[in-house]
Formats: sequence, structure tokens, C-alpha cells
Amino acid sequence: MPADGLGRILALLSDGREPGGTRRLCEVAAEVSAASGAGIMVLADGRPQGTLCTTNSVSDLIEDLQYTLGEGPCVDAHRFGKAVVEPDLAAPDLPRWQAFAPRAVEAGARAVFGFPVRLGAARLGAVNLYRDRPGPLSHDQHAAALVVADVAAYTILLLQAGAAPGEVAAELEREANFKLVVHQAAGMVSVQLDVSVGDALVRLRAHAFRTDRPVADVARDVVSRALRLDGAADE
Amino acid sequence: MIPRQGWRCAGLVGVCPSHLAVQTLYRQATPTSRIGAVMPKEALLLRTLVELADNLVDDFDVVDLLDHLSERCVEALDVASAGVMLAAPGGDLQVVASSSEAMRTLELFQLQSDEGPCLDCYRSGDPIINLELSAADRRWPRFTARAIAQGFRSVHSLPMHLRGRTIGAMNLFRTARGALDDTDVLAAQALADVATIAILQHQVAADAHILNDQLSEALNSRIVIEQAKGKISEAAGLDMDHAFRRLRGHARNHSLALAELSRRVADGTLAPGSLDPLPPDRRA
Repeated sequence: MPADGLGRILALLSDGREPGGTRRLCEVAAEVSAASGAGIMVLADGRPQGTLCTTNSVSDLIEDLQYTLGEGPCVDAHRFGKAVVEPDLAAPDLPRWQAFAPRAVEAGARAVFGFPVRLGAARLGAVNLYRDRPGPLSHDQHAAALVVADVAAYTILLLQAGAAPGEVAAELEREANFKLVVHQAAGMVSVQLDVSVGDALVRLRAHAFRTDRPVADVARDVVSRALRLDGAADE
Repeated sequence: MIPRQGWRCAGLVGVCPSHLAVQTLYRQATPTSRIGAVMPKEALLLRTLVELADNLVDDFDVVDLLDHLSERCVEALDVASAGVMLAAPGGDLQVVASSSEAMRTLELFQLQSDEGPCLDCYRSGDPIINLELSAADRRWPRFTARAIAQGFRSVHSLPMHLRGRTIGAMNLFRTARGALDDTDVLAAQALADVATIAILQHQVAADAHILNDQLSEALNSRIVIEQAKGKISEAAGLDMDHAFRRLRGHARNHSLALAELSRRVADGTLAPGSLDPLPPDRRA
């Protein structure tokens, strides 16, 4: 079993010196994958919307380049919904990202990895890892990066639902993994409000914050048709 | 890929001798079903094994494979409910397929990310057979209480492992008195083994990351299915079980992978109301 399961990654998140910020999530991403740096981009419809965090100036630049050029590992991971690995950016087996690659190499990135950040059909962004020397991620490092990507998805959702950055780590500890019923409810709410399932997840989470209940309880009420989020009672 | 409607394996004749042998046996066993009688248990088992073995020579979708596996377990074995849990890349066990899509059944499986026979079976790699729930309330208090409340009497968990690697576990629930017979236990483990081989063979000789990516993809697909069920449920006024049947029925009618169809419904590409309606006999 990989060493860095969800529990361990959440524990790492809350023992940061800076527990109030989302920056810790990027530090943890770099730590568990032995990367030189990490960044988490928020994307919508394939277009970069901004950054959640970066660990250093190279990660910053890697995100900026993708933001400006519209290509790179995060853009591909987001677009295709799967992990994108390039263990040797200076001499890749399959040349790609002709504008991005030379600039990223010049900045010091010799290997780059992108992991999609998503919750079902809700595609929220991508985790970006880089190393200053070429080489692949180990099996466990790759697995840990996938877990970090999941945590990033819940983090983005919590922030969009109105959680203060300082509350995110504690909220994740409480409800790191949504029950399937939450996703059923999100599907229902997306029809009720005519919004995407991603927006519906945010609305559900926000409703749970507002009424101070676990999101799974709110979801059960939606699924059993005791609660609708399109009524006046919600606002 | 699993035949989604009827039998479509004939094109594979000559591809794989052992596959062909099973297929011949299956054909010999099939006629009863063609005249509408109940298919004998042996024939159901053979058909299921052939369907699973089909994945060894063809491209496939993990969620479809496990959906079929749990559905067939209930048809072919003396059990009331079946479900499959896979380990996420971080090691947490999550539900991927269930023979019943009722919310309470899914939640019973899901509870096992914390406690229950599937989790113990996955951790130890050993099967748990014929465990009477009435005797398990100390071992798994929350799981046992829920399972008994749903009318189950005994539970069985079979590991999904191959060459020292465990990827998950299969759960079977019984409502009848008495033990599951040895033949059913053997058959269940055979089904779990073939499903495991089908999943693992995809990453043989390839990048070691592929299995993790594939499991992560399967678990995300399960979330997409739930989101699609929710949309159909709201748009058509169906409960979750019937919303799932409508989704699966449409997927099979149009030879689409369940996960791919769900994605189109969940991301808004396909309106939930445009899916084929449920056949009349499948309405509650």
C-alpha cells in the first residue's frame, strides 16, 4: 500500500507552519512526490482561471507560461482528464508544447507532470509538478500526486463555497471524501438550478456551511426530495 | 469489451484457444435461454466467465466490467446483493459497482471505507466466507447494524488479487438462511479472479503508473455515474435505482460505455430527458 494515503496527506497539510494558507497544499504536493516545485492551477473550459498556490518562482513561471501560451502539462491534464508525464522535457520521446517546453527548460524545469483536479464531471484544474533534473516519478510518488489532486479538488470547492482559507484544512479533515449521495444530489441540483454539476457541488457545500450541517445530510434531503435548492427557502 | 446486448463474441473465434473452448461450452449451454426459459446456473456462470475473459483480448471499460460482474453474481450465485470495491491510489477503498443502486445499498458498501468485511478482506488478502452478521456486531458494529437492518443474514468478501497485488474486494450478501455452498464460493472467487486479471493485464509490460491511473479513472467514473443518476432522477422524477437502470439501458441499447454515457449526461452534452425510456416491466 502506498505510504501517502489520504490520511497522511491531510496530516501533512495541517502540520504546516502556515496552516492558514493554501500554499501548504503545494508544499505537500512537492514533498510527497519529491518534486523541486509544485503549483495548482484552476481552469474552466480548458482556459486557465488563476492559481491556487505555487511553491517557488519556477512553479510560478510554469503556470504563467501555460496561462499565456495555452499549452503545457496542466492544460493537457485538464483537457484530457488524465495524468500527463514528461520525464525529460529537454529531450522528450514525443515532442510537444513547442512554445512552452524551451522556456520551461530555460527556467530550470527538466521534468514536468500534470494531474487533473476533478470531481466526476466537474473539471476544476490541474496539479503541476516539476523537477530540476530529468527522470520519472516512482510508483508511490505518482500515486501520492493523484491523492493530492483529489485533495486539491475538495479545496477548490470549499473555497468556492465560501470557506475561509484558514478553515480549509479543518474542513478537509472533517469531510475529505464526499459520499456518493453528495454527487447524486449535485446532479439533481444542477437540473433544478440549470447550472453545471461543479457549480451545483459548490451550492450544496455553501448550503451546508450556511445551515451548519454535514454536506452528506443536506444531500440526503435533496435526494429524498425533502429539500430543493431552487426555492426561496434556500436564499 | 463486454457484450452489451446479447452475445457478440463470435468475431473472436481463432483468437484464443482457451477462450474458444469456453465459448463452445457456453453455446452448448445456451439453447434454454433462447427459448425463453430460465438460463441454468452453469450456463450463466460460463457466460459470465466468457464475458470477463473477453476483456483479455479487447479494449474495455473497468466500470462496465465490474457492473456486469456484480449483476451476474446475483443472477448466477445464491446471493441477494453483490458489490465491488477498488482501492484508490492512496489505498482507501471505494465502491465502484453494485448490483443494486438503491442509496442504502451503496451506503452499506461505502461504509466499508472505514469498517467491514471488504476492508478486512482487502487488507489481509484472505477471503471471508459465510460470516453470520449476527455474530459480527463486535467486529464491525456500524456495518453490521446497517446490514441487518436491510435484511441481510450473512456476508462474504473475496479478495481481488493477483501475484501479490490486491486491487480491491468483492462483497456478496445473503438474505437466505444457511451457508453459501462450496460450488458458489469457488465460482465467486473465479469470477473475482478473472475480473482482476482483466484489469491488471492492461498494465502488463507497460508503465507502472497505468494501474493507478486506471483505478483513479474508474473511481472518478463512479462519481460521474452518480452525478448523471442525479440529473436523470431530477429530470424524469425517478428514484436513483431506476435512474441508473435508465442510464444502463440506454448505454446497452446504443453500445456505449456506461462511464462515457454518464459523462455526456453529467457535463450537459446530452439532455437527461433524451435517454431511452425504461421498458415497462422495469418500472417499479
